[in-house]
Amino acid sequence: MSKKVVILFGTESGNAEFAAEDMAAAVEDREVEIIDMTDFDVDDFSPENFYLIICSTHGEGDLPSGAAPLFNSLASQAPDLTGVQYAMFGLGDSSYEHYSKGSEHIDDKLSELGAIRVGEYGRHDAHTGTLPNDTAVLWTKDVLAHF
Amino acid sequence: MSSASDPSIAIIGSGPSGCYTAQFLRKRFPSSLITIFDRLPMPYGLVRFGVAPDHAGTKAVTQQFDRLFARDGVKFVGNTEVGKDTSLEEIRTKFDIVVLATGLSADRSLGLTGENLPGVYGSGRVTRLINGHPEESIQGIELGSRLVIVGQGNVAIDLIRLSLTHADQLIEVGVDKDVAGLISSGNLKRIEVVGRSGIENAKFDVAMIKELIKIPDVRFTSDAVVTEGFDAETQKRVDAISALVENSPRDASREVNFHFGWTPLEISGQQKVETIKFIAKDNRTDLSLSTDAIFTAIGFTESELSSIKRDAHISSATNLERGFLDDGLYCVGWLRRGPQGTIPANRADAKLVSDAIIQDFENKQNMKEQGAL
Repeated sequence: MSKKVVILFGTESGNAEFAAEDMAAAVEDREVEIIDMTDFDVDDFSPENFYLIICSTHGEGDLPSGAAPLFNSLASQAPDLTGVQYAMFGLGDSSYEHYSKGSEHIDDKLSELGAIRVGEYGRHDAHTGTLPNDTAVLWTKDVLAHF
Repeated sequence: MSSASDPSIAIIGSGPSGCYTAQFLRKRFPSSLITIFDRLPMPYGLVRFGVAPDHAGTKAVTQQFDRLFARDGVKFVGNTEVGKDTSLEEIRTKFDIVVLATGLSADRSLGLTGENLPGVYGSGRVTRLINGHPEESIQGIELGSRLVIVGQGNVAIDLIRLSLTHADQLIEVGVDKDVAGLISSGNLKRIEVVGRSGIENAKFDVAMIKELIKIPDVRFTSDAVVTEGFDAETQKRVDAISALVENSPRDASREVNFHFGWTPLEISGQQKVETIKFIAKDNRTDLSLSTDAIFTAIGFTESELSSIKRDAHISSATNLERGFLDDGLYCVGWLRRGPQGTIPANRADAKLVSDAIIQDFENKQNMKEQGAL
């Protein structure tokens, strides 16, 4: 049986949350849950679930405020994430330096703690004036077809 | 179809604070009748008329709000100025909860003699003009080869960038042809950007400064006094300005000069603005700049013309910390906490006030239930 899908979003302006809602709606035949990174306890990471992580970028390639608490807990508690599988989707704007860097901070930390990133690293460039929803939905379907 | 238990909600103002408030309240109250009023025919306030037109990524947030109206059953009522076309009292009778989200739209004044001379323009007015606001026009606006911008926040940086962007590029991102021709006429040779703060307290975001380096044919200079011992955040601002100056061409047909630590003293001119004078906090000689036009970009305040004035609704029960003005009446965003913070800050503000509204509503429901027992 396929693992339950947990969509974790880290947001500043709400765009990542907005896309996460459409991603969840695109998940077929599997249990799915959307969780704000701000409300997520790092002890809840489990190899039983498959994580789709969508995270924006703020300021100088920094994490959005909604992702900072999760990153800080990962850093301070350093849980063993061996066996945890996730796929990553980063938001950014190529008008600015440090395009799409916010998600990479989370990605680096999860890898460091033993979690394994699978599938293609998804990206959306807000420079186009579009929201990430459509790209993120296609990416979700593609990732879930394989994992 | 409102269920008996969900409250009807009116939000006055369809800028980011108002729309985010509608989003958060819709999540909690799926069957509430939610109506957003705006005095203009079109929604989205400062996202539409304040965010620079070349920042499409920032403006894209309106696509979140589009869904409120297209799918989530939130009603938009434009062309309706509450306090003028209909009274706030009437709205309060018709809706269980009313949220004021009208922002602060007036340009803060410098408070100087000469400020009313032709040639001195508030940045809010200029930004609205660039964004096609229905109440602004190029009538009476004259720019020349020299421009002084007073203020060094992100609005000032937007105006530097837009003034130096080729008119064709402005038109490409939706700016009206005549407005683009006025703002970016090709005649502009020099912009002086003057701030009261030293570089350590300058208000701009680093990402905004880094964007400026992409503009071709501009020489940047700075009179910042750089000393040791800045904290990391300040150091980033200092480094960004230094990099901008160092990486700009020595020979260019246009120049932008940053001046830090200067307090405006006086604006003078015969028929129109000719000179603006500044004094320094330290012992530097006064700065006197000849100019054809001045943009003031020192922030926003409540407009005298505004039909909604927050302080007129303050009661003994008011708690602005949570946006509570009076029974069933709330305020959010800039109107609640003042004109600081961009779109994400107003989302956080909308969350805070929405949580207060939900809590108050649930408390009332509980009391009713207990009363019924």
